[in-house]
Amino acid sequence: MRQLRATLLLSICSLMLISCAEVKAWERGYLAREEMAWDPNSLESSLNDHIFFSKEASSGGNSTAGGGCGCN
Amino acid sequence: MGSFCEIQLFDESRISAKSIVKQLAGEVTRLEKKYSRFREDSFLTKINSSAGNKLGLAIDEETQSLFDHALNCFEQSDGLFDITAGALNKIWDFKKALIPSQPQINAVRACVGLNKISFKNSHIHLPLEMQIDFGGIVKEYAADSAARLARNLGAKHGLVNLGGDFSVIGSQPGNKPWSVGISSPISAGNIMAKISLLDGGLASSGNYERFFMHEGKRYSHILNPVTGWPSNGLRAVSISANLCSVAGSVATIAMLKNEFEAKAWLENSGLAYVCMDSEGMIGSSGLKSDN
Amino acid sequence: MKNASRSIIALSSTAMALPGIALSDAPPTQSTVSYKLSNYQEDDLSRSEAPIGELERYEIDVHQFQLVSPLGRNMSLHVDANYESLSGASPWFTSRSLDGEPVVNLSGPSGIWDRRAELSVGSRFYLENGSFAGKIGYSEENDYSAFSFGLNGEKNYNNDLTTVSVGLSYSSDQIFPTDAALFNRVIEDDKQSTSVFFSVSQVINQVSSFQSALSITEQSGFLSDPYKLRDIRPDNKTQIAWSNSYRRFFVSTNAALHANYRYYHDDFGVNSHTSDLSWYQNLGRTLQLVPTLRYYNQSAANFFTNVDNFLNPISEYQSSDYRLSTFGAVSGSLSVIADMGSWTATLTAERYLADDKYSAFEVSKPSTALVKYNRISLGIDFRF
Repeated sequence: MRQLRATLLLSICSLMLISCAEVKAWERGYLAREEMAWDPNSLESSLNDHIFFSKEASSGGNSTAGGGCGCN
Repeated sequence: MGSFCEIQLFDESRISAKSIVKQLAGEVTRLEKKYSRFREDSFLTKINSSAGNKLGLAIDEETQSLFDHALNCFEQSDGLFDITAGALNKIWDFKKALIPSQPQINAVRACVGLNKISFKNSHIHLPLEMQIDFGGIVKEYAADSAARLARNLGAKHGLVNLGGDFSVIGSQPGNKPWSVGISSPISAGNIMAKISLLDGGLASSGNYERFFMHEGKRYSHILNPVTGWPSNGLRAVSISANLCSVAGSVATIAMLKNEFEAKAWLENSGLAYVCMDSEGMIGSSGLKSDN
Repeated sequence: MKNASRSIIALSSTAMALPGIALSDAPPTQSTVSYKLSNYQEDDLSRSEAPIGELERYEIDVHQFQLVSPLGRNMSLHVDANYESLSGASPWFTSRSLDGEPVVNLSGPSGIWDRRAELSVGSRFYLENGSFAGKIGYSEENDYSAFSFGLNGEKNYNNDLTTVSVGLSYSSDQIFPTDAALFNRVIEDDKQSTSVFFSVSQVINQVSSFQSALSITEQSGFLSDPYKLRDIRPDNKTQIAWSNSYRRFFVSTNAALHANYRYYHDDFGVNSHTSDLSWYQNLGRTLQLVPTLRYYNQSAANFFTNVDNFLNPISEYQSSDYRLSTFGAVSGSLSVIADMGSWTATLTAERYLADDKYSAFEVSKPSTALVKYNRISLGIDFRF
């Protein structure tokens, strides 16, 4: 099952590279906007991560694998 | 901006016209304060001081869009239009007519190249020793910005002239174009052509200043950033386009190309222009038609 | 410009994008200080859900503080500090009511009162085409303390269009439940957690980008809930989470779309799907409105039971913790962000509802104690 997932991930990544446009340096204005960042509001997302971690059984997936708490 | 500034306005109310002119002057001054290479407190000086800083310097939207335009010009001109090429000016002394050595030129060329700058997260990362000069862009931008501001304030007829860079606020009353006389580079005080401007902007570039002669060869102050040597281009060019910024970029690029390529490029541009080559021959296109 | 050549038109695009008009010239900043205050309040249980005892659940106040600042020419410093105070009651055990329905009993009149403080300090070091970072953290509360550290690195490829990052983190926790002797709880125990992640981000075109991230975590030690009357879990857990994110900017609307999906699986038997959508709508130059919708689905742990069975031997795994049951949760939030140049204010309100009705998985043992809550936050960022 894990191997299948790894293959899927790799194929999606390679597909992405094939179908992507060559974006010139001066055409990246929209991508550079704050609301286009992966995490525009880090305090909000870390608060949500903390709440969902203590009210649900899932965690992780993004890069922040921080410290623990007694809430789960 | 270090040169002559003039704003012409037609308005029913003199008070309104004066207020508009005052605000336009304020906008031009704001841009000068922000992007002047000669002011210690300008933002451009701050950018240049950050050269080599791996963390980069935070820049605002306006500065980012100026860099975007500079990068675009760099690409469209195959590297001829390069706002980092200022370092080359230091090794060429036009007053003393000094020609630098090839090793000297090569050393400086290592610190030139707009493609070496990177932009991340609204931060500019300027490599060590590299310096930016917005001189080739800001004046035209200021003219367009002032014209746009005037229109926003309600002005319908007017012309902004920043040291020979023109931006139309609105045509003359009765939908008549403004007529701009282009000075001849070789005979001072004479006009070599007239360009009609109904809207948009006009920019000129010329190398009739700051050159020196050495062994019968003319060394102009317009340096080719790719080679490090003066370009063997046109003597002067004036172009009109939909924006002074566009006209200015096209004019600068035309001056950096060698004469033959420049003329072909101007012909193909589809814009109205007048130019003079190193022999004094005047070429033009589209001068009589409306833009 | 009739008949303008292709290169002239190309030059025109960036010339026309020059903003013009004096903007509110906020001085570009290097450091940011942020503070956020939040109040979290769970809905009371109904009498039918908890026939005896407390109905009021948790209320939590959270203070978050963050500082990001440059350190010299190649490094940046990140400091995070959190403080939260918690009061209320949580499910103690479950039983069957007279109608045969599972009901929950919240912890007694003493309830739970807890304070938690956390501090983490990290630094990022920048190189030519990437960066690497390290972070250490410590947290402490009445009955828990944790020490953690993490390392991660990222590298850019394809002229900064592709970014690959990897990371590793480790946490060592101590558990010392309150009133342990009184309620026959474990006096003291510990838990360790090791996690690795790998992610790839890719720019698709001028207005969109995509990211895929995988994390694998191994936990060992005391993983049960010491406050439940009967809660026995394995002392090892392996979990894997795969998240995918998409960002797209709509130029004509002046708004950005965030779409995220995460799949989670662990060897307790829990599988979950999390999807959320946010819409960042700009209104003029100062305001931004962000509505968000989240849909969460999980399937129960192998050893979940909705009615505690005290006759089971202690060697058998068992838990009635609602957080290990099959349920779905729907939540919506709205943020209003005002950008005043050197400072920004954010106001957020959120409503969350967990219910076995919302589950896309088949529910065989619905939990009664699923939580519903309101959350409101006010945050300020100051740039200098």
